[in-house]
Amino acid sequence: MTGDASALFRSRVLFVTGKGGVGKTTTAAAVGRVAAATGRRTLVMEVDNQHPSLPAIFGKPAAHQPVEVEPNLWIANTEWQPALEDWVESIVSMRRLVRLIMKNRVVSLFLQVTPGARDLVMLWRVSELAKSFDLVVVDMPASGNAVAMLSVPLTAERLFPSGPIRACAEALLAMVARPDTALVLVALPEEMVVNETLETLERLQAGMPTLRVPIILLNRASMPTLSERERSLLRALEREFTEGVAVEVLEAGAWEEGLEAATGEALARLQEAKRPVIALPSLPRNDGARRVAAQMASALARGAGLRVLLRGGA
Amino acid sequence: MRISELLRTRKLLVCVGSGGVGKTTTAASLALSGAHAGRRALVLTIDPARRLANSLGLSEIGNHEHRISLPDDCPGELWAMMLDAPSTFDDVIRRVAPNEATRDAIYANRIYRSIAASFSGSHEYMATERLFDVVQSGRYDLVVLDTPPVKNALDFLDAPGRLARFLDKQVMKRLLTPHEEEAGFLGGIVAGTTAVVYRLLGHIFGEAFLGDIAAFFSLFKDLYDGFRARHEAVERLFADSSTGFIVVAAPTEPSIEVANFFFAELRSRSLPFAALVVNQVHHASFATPDVEALMGARARELDAGVSGPLLARLGAAHSRLVALAGLEARRVAQLRGQAGRGVAVHVVPRMREEVHDLRSLAALHPFLVT
Repeated sequence: MTGDASALFRSRVLFVTGKGGVGKTTTAAAVGRVAAATGRRTLVMEVDNQHPSLPAIFGKPAAHQPVEVEPNLWIANTEWQPALEDWVESIVSMRRLVRLIMKNRVVSLFLQVTPGARDLVMLWRVSELAKSFDLVVVDMPASGNAVAMLSVPLTAERLFPSGPIRACAEALLAMVARPDTALVLVALPEEMVVNETLETLERLQAGMPTLRVPIILLNRASMPTLSERERSLLRALEREFTEGVAVEVLEAGAWEEGLEAATGEALARLQEAKRPVIALPSLPRNDGARRVAAQMASALARGAGLRVLLRGGA
Repeated sequence: MRISELLRTRKLLVCVGSGGVGKTTTAASLALSGAHAGRRALVLTIDPARRLANSLGLSEIGNHEHRISLPDDCPGELWAMMLDAPSTFDDVIRRVAPNEATRDAIYANRIYRSIAASFSGSHEYMATERLFDVVQSGRYDLVVLDTPPVKNALDFLDAPGRLARFLDKQVMKRLLTPHEEEAGFLGGIVAGTTAVVYRLLGHIFGEAFLGDIAAFFSLFKDLYDGFRARHEAVERLFADSSTGFIVVAAPTEPSIEVANFFFAELRSRSLPFAALVVNQVHHASFATPDVEALMGARARELDAGVSGPLLARLGAAHSRLVALAGLEARRVAQLRGQAGRGVAVHVVPRMREEVHDLRSLAALHPFLVT
């Protein structure tokens, strides 16, 4: 089953998440490149990552402030402290006073240790950046943590009957509910990853029914190519050749066959999600992050039926 | 020290590494190997996802210690537990609270309920507490901890410290009684600043919330000493020579980067780095042969119709394997060098089947334990 990816590129805010190791950052980068190639001013951001991965893909450092890496494309690694200062400034509107507040040991400690404060401020930063870009692609933490982060405005709304935090939480909930805000789940053709993907979707639908999850991306997909007859010949050869180099050759073939079967199974199971699934082809693992992101972007553009010219693509 | 020895001598093994490298699987496999070595072993995950149950082939493991049945000839025991943050938070409060009235008042507090139930981070806050409990209980000879798949994963080690700071008496006193005089000229300025700040906090958070917070902290103030003592005990536990950290990695660029970060962090925190496990490694013993010469005749006899395309595909698959194995061997060598001397490195080949039950977990055993 393939699906329509073009919806992704009409979004204004796009959260990207999935189980650890599924290629979230690379996917976010690829989505960003395609969107930029369609002429939209696009920002791809990581959230306070101590080891940002975007620089390896784009060859430029990612700082708190967005840096332009290609025409129409910016990257950033949003940092907690400056984001917090901006947020406080948006409330008290005097920079000097903000500095005074932030320098106060009690306040900074209070904000650092208050669970949820960080997540709320980071989401606020996303909403601010969305004002100056056509599309903000957010490379979120792994699925469990991403769901927790996205649910913070709901908690804050329950906790604060009035005041600026209440207003901020309401604005963020409105952002999450907008028709042009979406979340993309990234999966791999592995049983455990598919389980976690379906589970995350369920949690999102129960906890945040207003957030759209229009599509699932299946990374490292090996679309089945071996025919039934080829597979039975492979089985027959496995019975005939049981030692030496032949065994290793047959195992290499069986390994790739296994990947194809796993892709078939993943696509079948992901139908439970009742959403289009876009399969992105498996790419040679020895390619650098940069080339992988470029090739993924080409595949995404094809999947979305977009005719765009991608710089440095495959 | 080899893992076989760690399994016999250490009481706590902590698996750290980036997501997707088989950390949970490794943790479960280590605990299983511990059981086979005659130990009463518990594998514990503080991962909010349900992957431990997955890797043990179970549909569900709750917030209690669950015994996994093993063959009768196994001399040890295997237990598994996942942490469910809210009830764990409640458990700890129940244990730390000086009396039932305080405990019930905390349970009923609006802020407590929100923090316990839905703020991210409470998992990590409470996980170390629960870990400490099970290690101290004496019910297990070996506890294997699977950590969350975040890149800044050693953060969870700081969680009890953050909670203790959050409940710090001095900080709370200042926050709750901002007008209290402080001696001297400098003290006056500080007090003045704090008063301004307090008004601003009132503006930001709203007076009602500050009232709630005040109630929350006055409830918690009696708990502070208990939390701090536990935090210090947990810190001692992690640094103890009966604990070992195992960095789990895969031979991919991002995973190597994260592994290096862990090497540096463990060293700078003086934590006992015990072993490196490199999972999912491809191996090729031969150069790609002429597949047609090797099995072409037999393949044509079996099915001449598809033998050509299949043999071409097999040759291509094997040369891809050779290229990948070569690249990964260089990456493993690089990791070995970066891990440093005295750290045992265990290389686990990519398994043909996905590891998600006891049988496939046991297949990892020879690579981890020999």
